[in-house]
Order: sequence, then structure tokens, then C-alpha cells
Amino acid sequence: MPLSACRRDFLGLAAGAAAALLAVSAAAADPAGDLIQSTAGEVIDIIKSTTPGAARQAAIQQVLQTKFDLPYMGQTALGANWNKASEAQRVRFLKAAETAEARAYSERFGQYGGQTLVINKVTPRANGVSIVDSRLNQSNGQPLKLEWEVRDAGRGLRITDVKIEGVSMVMTRRSDFNSYIQNNGGTVEPLINELEARAAR
Amino acid sequence: MHFKVQAPCATLTVEQQREAFRPRVPWAGELDAGLALMIASVPKSVTAGVRRSAVMAALIAAFLGGCASGDTGAAEPWDPIETPNRFMFAVNRTVDMIAIRPLAVMYRDGVPERAQKGVRNLLDNLGEPVTAINEVFQGDPSRAATTMARFLVNSTLGLAGLFDVATMLGMKRTKEDAGQTIGMWAGKGVEPENGGFYLVLPLVGPSNARDATGLMIDYAIDPFQILPIALNVDWFYYSAPRYALSVIDYRSRTMFALDDLEKNSVDYYAALRSAYTQNRAELIRAKREKTDTKGELERRDNLALVK
Repeated sequence: MPLSACRRDFLGLAAGAAAALLAVSAAAADPAGDLIQSTAGEVIDIIKSTTPGAARQAAIQQVLQTKFDLPYMGQTALGANWNKASEAQRVRFLKAAETAEARAYSERFGQYGGQTLVINKVTPRANGVSIVDSRLNQSNGQPLKLEWEVRDAGRGLRITDVKIEGVSMVMTRRSDFNSYIQNNGGTVEPLINELEARAAR
Repeated sequence: MHFKVQAPCATLTVEQQREAFRPRVPWAGELDAGLALMIASVPKSVTAGVRRSAVMAALIAAFLGGCASGDTGAAEPWDPIETPNRFMFAVNRTVDMIAIRPLAVMYRDGVPERAQKGVRNLLDNLGEPVTAINEVFQGDPSRAATTMARFLVNSTLGLAGLFDVATMLGMKRTKEDAGQTIGMWAGKGVEPENGGFYLVLPLVGPSNARDATGLMIDYAIDPFQILPIALNVDWFYYSAPRYALSVIDYRSRTMFALDDLEKNSVDYYAALRSAYTQNRAELIRAKREKTDTKGELERRDNLALVK
């Protein structure tokens, strides 16, 4: 039987972040489009001026804090469990998740080079969300479809999700975290401990 | 806790459902006959068996996919057999760790880039007829014609598919499978995220009722699976090498993404289940979106409400 499960690189997931290394070319006059463009620009500068390590991770974390709405993303990723968590747990969760993402992104980018991000259509939604459609052209292989979700949830216009080939970062984390919580007593405490242990590594 | 409980088709009796799925367009009744024609060269017993199972499977999938209603798509993938799935997932990972991944690493790092490209083109070319058949059933005959043209050009000028001459000539490659075809026709009430129950297949990995059915159909209609049987080609000389190459090629291409997903998830099984479901839904939604562009965005709006 052919491994026809070989559909497409749905696992382009990783590349997700890849939005980074990229020379950005775009025709965006929309604030949401501009946000994506400036974010990609900042990340390019970081990749060019640092090597993978603590310095790069710190710089990436800075971008995450200023361009992404991390509290909103964290809340969405925890779903119903967010309401069950105490204020202290929420703070610890967000901090640990932020460190984990910053590390993941800084390591991911080390393996990329020469891609370009082309920003296409910006679709505003009735509920204030803008979907920014973009394409990551790779030197070898098919271009990756990246979609950015941009919204203002009280902290200014921020990125609240990235989708790579249809795979949403927040939705995947949501499934991941939720399943971990279910298999570890149904509370967020073990998840936070695990994320903190990983961040300390 | 968040496993989606699928609404049973309580409002429809079995007879009503049969009626609902009875073909109405004149040519639809001939699908079965067409399928039989395609595999007419196979020994009779095999033909009958394959045809019966393919048609049955398609019907089962139609029922499975057709039952959910009021689905916002915000729920977790439906996974009623999670325990056996996790067991198979663990078996797959072990086999992968011991045998497949090391081979794929050697292949990726040791084989020249151009040879890898050639292998990929060869495998892709063998898959073109299946894509073309699916494009016909998706109601896109012109796309199917392009795919067949690609196949003919690459099989001849491209030296049996080693070189992708067709792309240079401006004929872009598409890849369609029967899982997408089923998902496309499942109807507007069925979210593309809903492919029936989630299923981890031996070796193949993540799948679901819809896509596993699609896999069987694709196998049954693939001329390059049927011909070797008809011509009595030894399994060892054709099917085995093709399968082995597919596995290694696919594994080497997904290495980076899978490693990343594994490293950055706290529950790899759940993360992969989610990523697979979302990606398949995206492909199917793209098929449907020719008529319905708002589907995905509305789904995201719903998600915000559910939270």
C-alpha cells in the first residue's frame, strides 16, 4: 500500500515560525498587514545579528511580548481550564509557555535561510479580527501557506494566532494541553510544572 | 472530557438514510460499473472483492461523515478508540525509532539531492492516475485532464517520471486523494474537521474513518497497483520497493516538522492528532471553498464564542 498518507507536509507546522528569516515583500497598506510585515522585519534582523543561543532567545521573546498577544493566546490555548486556574497559576502558565515558545522559535529559525514571505490578502472580520494571508516561499520545495490572525483584545493590535498549511498554533497547543491535563488529574498544576521544568532545562 | 460526542442520526431511520444516499443523477449509478471497468483486468474474485469492499467502505464513510450536526468545529477531534490508537501510536513510534527514522536520516544526508528529487518525481508520477480519477469525481475534469497530460509528458519526456518536465512546461502538480473527495461531497452540515473517528494506522500513522476509507479506495483504483497483479509481477520486484521508497521519502521530508512537533508538545499524540485533523480539513475546505469562502472564518468566530 502506498504511503498515501503522504499527503502534503501538513507538518509544515514547524516551519510555522519560519516567517522569520525572510525577506519580506508585500503590498499591504492595512494596519494588520503592516504588523505582520514589521514583525517579520524585526525577526530577520535578529536572525542576521545573532546565533542560536540565549541572546537570540531573549530577542525573540522580546518580539513575542511586543507583537503577539500572549495572554490572549494562552487563555485560548487553555480553553475551559483557564477559568479553573487561579490567578497565580495563570501568571506562571503564561510565563512558562512564553519561555517555551521563545526557545522553540529561536531554535527553529537557526535551520532556515533564504526564504521570502509574501503578504497577500488581508480579510477583516465583523468581530474586529483580521486574517492576513501570506506565503512562505522556500528555496526548495513547495511554498508554505501562512495565515495570521490579528486582533485588538485590549492590548493594541496584536497577532493572536499563526496557521501553517491550515494547522493553527493555538489550536494545536489547545489540544495538546487539554489532553495532558485530562491525563494528569484534570487540573492545570501538572501542566504548569511540566512547562516550568522544560523552561528551566 | 472534550471528546466530541457525535449526535446519532436519531431523526432519520435507516431506510430514510438509504433513500438520502441513493444516487439521483443519471450517471451516479454507473460509478460502480465504472469502477468495475477500471479493474476489469484483475482476476474476477479479486475484482468482486475489491469492488464490494470499496463501495461498502464509501457508503460507511458517507454515513459516518453524515451524522454530525450543529458542529462548530471547535471541539477536539473525535477519538472514541483512543486507547488502541495510543497503543498503535506507540508501536509506530518504536518501529520508527529503531528502523525508519535512522534510514530516513541516512537517505536525507547520504543520498545526493538530485537523486532524492528523482525518486520523489518517480513516486509522484506513479500517483498521478489516482489524482486524476479523484479530480474527475470531484467534478473537475479539466484539472484531471491536466494531471493526465502531466503523467503522459513525465512518463515519456521525463524518462518514466524521473524528471518533472510538465512543471517546467507550466502544468502545475496537484495531489488529490479519495479522503478529500469524500470530505468534499460530505455536505455542508459536516465540518471538514469531522472525518469520523480518529484512527492510527499501522505504519501509515494518523488517519480517520474518512481518510482510511479513502486510502482503500485509492488503493483499489490505482492502475499501478492493479497492473502488477494483473500481469503477475512479483511483489518483491515492484510493490515492495515502491512502498519502501515511499516510506523513506515521506519520512525524510517530514523529519523536521515531526521532530519539532514532538519536542514542543507535552502530549505528542494529541498534538499530532490535532495537526493532522486541521491540515486535512484545510485541504477539504479549499475544495469546498470554490462556492463557500466563509466557512473557515465563521468557524473561528464560533470558536471565540465557545471559549
